[in-house]
Amino acid sequence: MEENHNIALSVKNLKTYFYTNNRCNRAVNGVSFDIEKGKTLCIVGESGCGKSVTASTIMQLLPRLSRIEEGSITYHSDAGDIDIENLERNGQKMRAIRGSEIAMIFQDPMTALNPVYTIGFQIGESLKYHTDLTKKQIRDKTIDLLRDMGISLPEQRIDEYPHQYSGGMRQRAMIAMAMSCNPKILIADEPTTALDVTIQAQIFELMDRLKEKHNTAIMLITHDMGVVAELADDVAVMYMGNIVEAGTIDEVLRTPTHPYTRALLDSIPVLGEGKNQIIEPIPGSTPDPYQRPKGCQFAPRCTHYSEQCDIMPEETQISETHRIMCWKYQEFATNGK
Amino acid sequence: MLTYVIRRILILIPMLLIISFLVYWGLELTPGDAVSHLINPEAAGRMSAEQLNDLRESYGLNKSFIERYGIWLINVLQGNFGHSLAGGVPIADIFLDRLPATLELSFVALFFSTVMGSILGTISALKRGSAIDSGLTVVGMLGVSIPEFFFGLVALLIFALELGWLPVGGRLLPSYTSYWDHVPNIVLPALVLSLMMTAGVMRYSRSSMLDALSREFITTARSKGLPEWRINLLHGFRVALTPVVVLIGFRLPVLIGGTVIIEQVFQWPGIGNEFISSVRGADYPLVMMIALFSVFAVLLASLIIDVLTALIDPRVRLS
Amino acid sequence: MENSSLNRKFDRILALENAGKLKASSGNRALSKFYNNRLAVFGLIVFSIILLTAVFAPLLTSHDPLKINLRNIAQSPSWEHWFGTDRTGRDVFSRVLYGGRISILVGLGSALMAAVIGVAIGGYTGFKGGWLDVIALRISEIFMSFPQIILVLMLVSIAGQSLFNLIFIFVLTGWGAMYRMTRARMLSLREEEYVQALQSFGLSTATICYKHILPNALGPIMVNITLSTAAFILAEAGLSFLGLGVPLNLPTWGNILNVAQEIRVLQNFWWMWLPVGLVISLFVLSVNFIGDGLRDATDPSQQG
Repeated sequence: MEENHNIALSVKNLKTYFYTNNRCNRAVNGVSFDIEKGKTLCIVGESGCGKSVTASTIMQLLPRLSRIEEGSITYHSDAGDIDIENLERNGQKMRAIRGSEIAMIFQDPMTALNPVYTIGFQIGESLKYHTDLTKKQIRDKTIDLLRDMGISLPEQRIDEYPHQYSGGMRQRAMIAMAMSCNPKILIADEPTTALDVTIQAQIFELMDRLKEKHNTAIMLITHDMGVVAELADDVAVMYMGNIVEAGTIDEVLRTPTHPYTRALLDSIPVLGEGKNQIIEPIPGSTPDPYQRPKGCQFAPRCTHYSEQCDIMPEETQISETHRIMCWKYQEFATNGK
Repeated sequence: MLTYVIRRILILIPMLLIISFLVYWGLELTPGDAVSHLINPEAAGRMSAEQLNDLRESYGLNKSFIERYGIWLINVLQGNFGHSLAGGVPIADIFLDRLPATLELSFVALFFSTVMGSILGTISALKRGSAIDSGLTVVGMLGVSIPEFFFGLVALLIFALELGWLPVGGRLLPSYTSYWDHVPNIVLPALVLSLMMTAGVMRYSRSSMLDALSREFITTARSKGLPEWRINLLHGFRVALTPVVVLIGFRLPVLIGGTVIIEQVFQWPGIGNEFISSVRGADYPLVMMIALFSVFAVLLASLIIDVLTALIDPRVRLS
Repeated sequence: MENSSLNRKFDRILALENAGKLKASSGNRALSKFYNNRLAVFGLIVFSIILLTAVFAPLLTSHDPLKINLRNIAQSPSWEHWFGTDRTGRDVFSRVLYGGRISILVGLGSALMAAVIGVAIGGYTGFKGGWLDVIALRISEIFMSFPQIILVLMLVSIAGQSLFNLIFIFVLTGWGAMYRMTRARMLSLREEEYVQALQSFGLSTATICYKHILPNALGPIMVNITLSTAAFILAEAGLSFLGLGVPLNLPTWGNILNVAQEIRVLQNFWWMWLPVGLVISLFVLSVNFIGDGLRDATDPSQQG
């Protein structure tokens, strides 16, 4: 494959397993994707499909009882490629990347911020370890960042504690923290799930603006198809630890090919279609991660199941950017819907 | 902050009133002449029935229960705690005499156990699952399971009786010339009391630290690329500290209980020792006053702890 | 190093998982977690042994714990007297066995009664709220602001020394902690949606409270009972050691230790106090291990 200079991070055949309660859960079971500079990659899926684990794996922020089993995570830095999976979890090299090259924002800004330190202190910490700024400069820069994020009276707000902020403002502060060292990649793990819908739109607008301004690559994790339609340049649909379908936003939303993607889209009501639209719930429920189906993970719930599906399907490119994990994609690709 | 402290004090007052009322009620239930709560019982013993009656009248002891309580309370507030039945010594004098020894012992134990306990507990949590952690867990469990007097007896037998390194008991002997001369006397009781309390603080610090380390802001701190020591100390330990400080306040009753027994084992001439003798000798005024005093100490400690928590936790301070 | 041992553990689990040998554990997850906790199982075994020896004391020793034999005083341990005899010639081993009966009765009995009272009050008032709740809370605060030993000794000095009084006083001083815990659980559980659903069905408060909510608080209640059993056994031992607990004519673990207050006994007759001190420590240790095991097993946030 030709080397694309716009790629910020590539993940190849990544497997992350969890070992809690003396069992092995193959939470991420072989996923591959690229994140491009200045673009947003959305990873969609139901809870428990492994999307958040993928994000933690990239940052090496996995819990103690888990490890990267195989695969590679390559960060294409200005100074050359870095294989993140080979770095020591909390070693110096990994720490140098975290926060400064790749930054992350989390689902619930209430619990993700330390309640006993001021917002200014927590943003400043990042600057302190990744830049050579003096205390005074750090403070000025923090105030600028807060102002950029649309927080009024940043000179006062900088010395306030997280509980004095509203939910939306906390998430803005989180973003300010993540953007403080101009990272090349921003990973956002369901950044608006804990927020009001109106605030949600503002946060996304902010993220979009930052992407344009700093050419940041964004990896956005969500379970909300509406968010995907709004923000994504590329989409990857995850189910039970695999990316079952991935492509550009147009490819995935206009010509969904994997039965799971189609089922997912059919299960969402569309605004303006009125109350007579047909909403198809997906039959069954996600399987127990300890009793996974042998082959295609979606097979037991799939309406197109056949014996072939008892063997794990391989990834197939159906166009240069569009790929899918299904034995029977040709049927769907030609028939349309 | 000031209003917070004042509000906290205002809550304490009715509490103290109710408790003092209960204590006075208990005092009246016990056998003995109520006059003895106010004047030296030996002097009272020499008086005639008529004189005593006059005295009762003058102290208002023939009035209703509530009024009697009021008079007693005013006396207590003025520092007249009544008299011990044994020897007729004013209780206030007994307090002045015995309190320094108890405070000395408990402060040493409180300080030592807090420092050691929180450090060991934090190490245990940071090295979770390691041999150090398992070792400390078992030792901590032993510390909360062995009766402190039994531990004290074994220590007494080994270090004082068999090895003869330290004195068997007591505090200030007549032969001592300076304050430092009694240091060998305090080593054993303080060590025994501290070690028992260290176990409790350690167990609690460990779970508090584990809890803090599992919080999401630790992941956030890590995602910023901070070094582990900073994450553990500034983010983990700092947050784990609040419940530990609260616990130390809650442990004051445990400390008092421990002091009572350890003072007895090592014949340490403190309030606890006096309390046991007063219970044994049915010296009710003294029993009740020491009980009231201990409640006062506990409530005061809880007030101090609340203020301390407010100082270290902005969520409390600013709400 | 920790990492390599963790890695080895992971490899082992993965190999088993690949071979399809790991099945979803059947039965109660909390129970299986408890049995996987080595310290908890150790505690359960020691607890059972000591409990059984106390219950079946007459089968294990032919000596009468109360029988004074002045021709046989202060004998060191022998085949006839395993733990020797005390200064009035009583067999220490049989006193430890029979003493266990009363000490365990005091500990476990007080803990259970305190739990019943604390849970009943805490469950109901916590669920109902209102002035009843405020009164119960204030009363518990008053009891809890006394250091336990001071309150117990104060009551002992008023009520006098007897086995019944001691248990009564322990319950009086111990219900507060159970009450607080139950009330706190209740306050959070009553906001759960299933409770609102039950209320909308028109079930009575008592039914919802005791039949539907309480079982969800069972884990912490059990943990609390074990921990307060340990605490009461220690308290009884301490009080009896001082001679202010159970009257001295009844053998209890604390009463046996009472003689060790004398330096001469401490130094010369180790068998009169050391074995029983070890038995108390071991028993309390086993109860605490069980409590810890229960806590880990019933706490869903704990994994490992």
